[in-house]
Amino acid sequence: MEVRNCDENEYSIEVEDVYKHYRIYKDKGSQLKEKLLFWSRNKYTENNVLKGISLKVKKGEAVGFVGHNGCGKSTLLKLLSRISYPDKGIITTRGRISGLIELGAGFHPDMTGRENIYTNASIYGLCKKEIDRRLDRIIEFSGLGEFIDAPVRTYSSGMYMRLGFSVAINVDADILLIDEILAVGDGEFQAKCLNALKEIKSRGTTIVIVSHSLNQIEEICERSYWIQNGEICMEGEPREVHKAYLEATVH
Amino acid sequence: MQKTDSRNEALSVRKTGQKESFLQTVREIYSYRQMIVAFVRRELRGRYKGSFLGFLWTFLNPLLQLCVYSIVFSTILKSGIEKYYLFLFVALIPWIFFSSSVLGGAASIIAQKDMVKKIYFPREVLPISTVTTNFVNMLLCFIVVFAVVILSGIKLNFLALLCLIPVWIVEYILALGMAFLTSAVTVYFRDMEHILGIVMMAWQYLTPVLYSYDIIPPQYRLIFDLNPMTPIISAYRDILYESKVPDLKSLISATVMGLVVLVIGWITFSKLKRRFAEEL
Ligand SMILES: Nc1ncnc2c1ncn2[C@@H]1O[C@H](COP(=O)(O)OP(=O)(O)OP(=O)(O)O)[C@@H](O)[C@H]1O
Ligand SMILES: [Mg+2]
Repeated sequence: MEVRNCDENEYSIEVEDVYKHYRIYKDKGSQLKEKLLFWSRNKYTENNVLKGISLKVKKGEAVGFVGHNGCGKSTLLKLLSRISYPDKGIITTRGRISGLIELGAGFHPDMTGRENIYTNASIYGLCKKEIDRRLDRIIEFSGLGEFIDAPVRTYSSGMYMRLGFSVAINVDADILLIDEILAVGDGEFQAKCLNALKEIKSRGTTIVIVSHSLNQIEEICERSYWIQNGEICMEGEPREVHKAYLEATVH
Repeated sequence: MQKTDSRNEALSVRKTGQKESFLQTVREIYSYRQMIVAFVRRELRGRYKGSFLGFLWTFLNPLLQLCVYSIVFSTILKSGIEKYYLFLFVALIPWIFFSSSVLGGAASIIAQKDMVKKIYFPREVLPISTVTTNFVNMLLCFIVVFAVVILSGIKLNFLALLCLIPVWIVEYILALGMAFLTSAVTVYFRDMEHILGIVMMAWQYLTPVLYSYDIIPPQYRLIFDLNPMTPIISAYRDILYESKVPDLKSLISATVMGLVVLVIGWITFSKLKRRFAEEL
């Protein structure tokens, strides 16, 4: 991954001092009544999830995020993919982003696998020509064989995931965001996914992985971030970070 | 890396905190055009999927409605308007497009909430797809409308028929503006969906769909003139029932009102869309 040109575009992702809170409404059901009668905002408490996160990811680099349930890993990924926006701070991304957060989005059970490839890929922002060009590659990678022309409702859940994953990974994004989805399919397919990720990375794609299976991160990433209490509590070589993280978890 | 995909050059650097410009958003929606196509196709094909007659229902539905109206209004409720079934039919099909776009548009984001929460795509795609689906459906219904108009012996005026195209476009613009507005507001204010059911019913009676503009008492005409659907429905009726070129002045005022609604809808949507994923 020697994609080091020294201009400012060296970084694929720059996150500067980002804050994010969620509102937790006490009573969402009575919105109309409250708004009309009291002309007041709903009562809510604030949950500060991210409190000043800064990080930079170079082009072609792969990094992992680890941390306890609810520490804000998925929140951070959502900010990177622009599903939601930070309260404060700036996030800069360079290149097309593809998020592997939900596989098989928009699948219609009555349509065939092939038809669903078109729907699903279009959600990643590909146009018809771009999908045509990738179609064979997607079908080949999914390993579904002749099932590709059967309605998706006849698929097993593993087959469904395989198809979703094949589409997502063949989008050819510049930045790939992955949230806990590497555990799909059987052992063989998982190995295939890991290899595919390594290959994609060697082509210069930036990868961000959130996972509780630390081994996967260690296999692909050169850096890991441990997030705790809304801040980055440790950053560095995955094996070292994970060791510290596991030790802290046990004690 | 192969950078063969020409799109995205302008989109490639993204900075939150900077406001997205109008042009950027439009360009991005354009680059997601395949998603709109896929959603429209999925919706149109999925609508009657599994039913025995399948896609034929698209044509059967308006035809059967027409049968009911012509029976009711020629035997029980005699209206005194000549060929009332046709008078109603050419106005009702466009009205159904409008009303189902507003109601369907209001639900369009909530209906895809799992996707909105988990995947990035320009949110505008959802109301656009809903309105476009209903629009294509209306165009298909127009095959039936033309057939009925010709069979009932009305001589169509070619110049008037050409005017259908701008009328369709103006109605599409208005429906889209309303769908932007209602879809975004409904995310924050769920009661909207139910309120709209009543509003659309009242709106239908405040639009000359069931009766003609001429019978409205003059003192109430202002309300009808401020209703952008009034000139649109009247134009359809002029073209297909009276076979004459619609009134240009009222068409222009419909266009202006349609554009105003679109701008209001667009601005509201842009303001509200940032927090969709959290509110759903
Ligand atoms: N839409 C939301 N509204 C309110 N609170 C939310 C919302 N989404 C997440 N949260 C809260 O934000 C915190 C972080 O959630 P997040 O999903 O980012 O955790 P995570 O690190 O991905 O956890 P996990 O390992 O379980 O996936 C949690 O406390 C959660 O309750
Ligand atoms: Mg998570």
